[in-house]
Amino acid sequence: MNAGLGARILVIDDEPQIRKLLKVTLQAHQYDHYECADGEEGIIQASMVHPDLIVLDLGLPGMSGMDVLHRIREWSQVPIIVLTAKDQEVDKIAALDGGADDYVTKPFGMGELVARIRVALRHVAKTTDEPILRFGSLVIDLALRQVELDGEQVKLTPTEYEMLKVLASNAGKIITQRQLLQQVWGAHHHESDSHYLRVYVGHLRKKLKEDPTRPSYIQTEPGIGYRFLLPAE
Amino acid sequence: MSEHKEEGEDQESLQGISRWKRVPAYIWVTLAIILLTVLLHIIGMSDDLVNVALVYLFPILISAVYWGMGPAIYAATLSVVMFDFFFVPPYLSFTVEDLRYFISFAVYLAVAIMTASLAGRLRQQLDRVKSREATTNALYDLSRQITAITDLDNLLDNMTSQISLMLGSPAAIYLPDQQGELKLGVKQKSVSEFGTDKSAWGSRSSELAIADWVYKQGQIAGKGTPKLGESTGLYVPLRTENHIHGVLAVHMTTNEPEKQQEQRQLLEACGSLAAGAIARVKLAEEARLAQVTAESERIRTALLDSVSHELRTPLTAIIGSATGLMENDTLFTPEDRRELTGNIRDGALRMNRLVTNLLGMVRLESGMLQLNRKWCDVGDMISVVLAKVREFSPHREVTVQLPEDPVFFDGDEVLLEQVLVNIVSNAIKYSSNESMVVIRVENDASQSCVTFIVDDKGVGIEEPERTRVFDKFYRSPSTQHITGTGLGLAICKGIVEVHGGTIQAEGNPDGGTRIRIELPVGEDERPFSYTALGEGGD
Repeated sequence: MNAGLGARILVIDDEPQIRKLLKVTLQAHQYDHYECADGEEGIIQASMVHPDLIVLDLGLPGMSGMDVLHRIREWSQVPIIVLTAKDQEVDKIAALDGGADDYVTKPFGMGELVARIRVALRHVAKTTDEPILRFGSLVIDLALRQVELDGEQVKLTPTEYEMLKVLASNAGKIITQRQLLQQVWGAHHHESDSHYLRVYVGHLRKKLKEDPTRPSYIQTEPGIGYRFLLPAE
Repeated sequence: MSEHKEEGEDQESLQGISRWKRVPAYIWVTLAIILLTVLLHIIGMSDDLVNVALVYLFPILISAVYWGMGPAIYAATLSVVMFDFFFVPPYLSFTVEDLRYFISFAVYLAVAIMTASLAGRLRQQLDRVKSREATTNALYDLSRQITAITDLDNLLDNMTSQISLMLGSPAAIYLPDQQGELKLGVKQKSVSEFGTDKSAWGSRSSELAIADWVYKQGQIAGKGTPKLGESTGLYVPLRTENHIHGVLAVHMTTNEPEKQQEQRQLLEACGSLAAGAIARVKLAEEARLAQVTAESERIRTALLDSVSHELRTPLTAIIGSATGLMENDTLFTPEDRRELTGNIRDGALRMNRLVTNLLGMVRLESGMLQLNRKWCDVGDMISVVLAKVREFSPHREVTVQLPEDPVFFDGDEVLLEQVLVNIVSNAIKYSSNESMVVIRVENDASQSCVTFIVDDKGVGIEEPERTRVFDKFYRSPSTQHITGTGLGLAICKGIVEVHGGTIQAEGNPDGGTRIRIELPVGEDERPFSYTALGEGGD
């Protein structure tokens, strides 16, 4: 898992303590580290440094993290991981639907943040669409639209297959309920259709022989969406 | 109340007799005396002067008793004239000799005056007794009614309507507001005055000004009193021993001084009753407030104790471990370092839990908690709960028993997950490391509710404490040695109740504690069927 080693990471956070923590950790993981303390400087830095990834605090003073996110997204597709305070599912969803690639809730463990950074960098690095996705004993053949588990073929309905495809090709990344609905059902869906998702995810998990109390593939992010788990590294 | 009204009317009619029957009374007296004279002549008693003179006393007595002083004196005069003119010789004339009959006249007059005044006094006494009885009854009735009332608005309303009914005129009570400014509290119009200009009485500034004066001076004022006698209302301060609570005002309809006096007395009695009642209600309110204050004081102390302890302990661990690592860099083996950094992490995680709980409590208490209701998959929820529980106690075994079919219900999954995490981590905390924790979900379609049961085989909760454990900051004395804030279950209760559900602690039949949470499923449990969407094929 050396994807993105040496990549440039820009940290936009107003708290010196958090910046120091990230600096030490990121440098220890041999990332190229840049930092700034407010949103406006962050936008300038983002255009000057051309980072490979941005870690953005949503609770910035002055220009809010959400504004910074929107401004950067106007001209750049650089992966952005947002840091948020707890108990604000609405903010997380807004950030994710507004173009953030992932989120980490404060307080967070460094292992969690580094894992998210790796996943985000790897998705950028992956340029060619691999026709076959492998996750342990689960194999998804995107060309043939076939799914195999432990060497046996799994029969999925078209919708179930589409869902699995969306989740698995974004493995490790969070997909919000809205993104999932949009990518599977297209434009014809309502916010209230999240009930469909639950039912489909339930069926999909059953077909992937998951222990409902300890899912190994599709993890629920309460109130936000789903994350296809990468096999333990 | 109707009784008193009737009595009031009786009283009215008794007093009325002397007034409006007075003129006809003179005619009746005249007729009676003429009739008597004619009768005496017919039966031929003209010679028996003594008896004739005595017989003439009858009309005098009768008129004195029934019609009072005026008609009695008139009867005496007429009788003496008749007697002298028709019975004393020379008949049909007055002579100088007849002057001796002035003695008869004097006797007649004395009888008339004395009888009339005696009868009058008796009648007055009777009137007074009757009106006093009516007043007493009315006051008794009022006091009986208002003692049962504990709420001030209701009390004032009731009181003014009673007083207004009693006196047949509009009544109002003025009370001081928070700043001590007198304001119109309640006003009651008497039924007959709706829509007339009198209905505005009580709310005008002039009435308020008088009421204010009365309130500040503590003296009665208005019609029938030396102060501000020209105004139309009577204003009585509502006074208890050392405090004036407000002003009772009544629009006076009568102009008679006697009646005014009487109404004033009644009003004063009502006023002291009202003052007593208001004081009582206020005292009860103050007592209740004092109790609330004491309770919040207790909670504040508990909060300080619990929070300072719960914050300081992990902080001590964090600061101690961190400074140790920094200052004695060379002393520690790699294992020691790992242990110390682990210590820092655990302390921080513990503080994080405390802060989360405190914030949760504040959100619940301030009513800022907004439910983000969605269809929740119970199995999904429990998987999230277990993942969180594993974070801080990875080695404990938690068994899950779910119904065959997936269970869906309407609720805020994030908050309910917090509830379950709290309950399960309590179950782990208060039981031995080897024992099992069981989460069971039951879906009773007939009662349209989902039941979560969390069983542990730990210390258990004593029967009398089973409701108290859900109180804020309450910690069972038997578990004082285990750290905690006493917030977790209170938050759970708050969240479950916002969902319209119930949470209770029971005894686990196998020993330990059982927490049972029942949540309503919400309408329309299955909005669609999976197979109907053409997804059934497998």
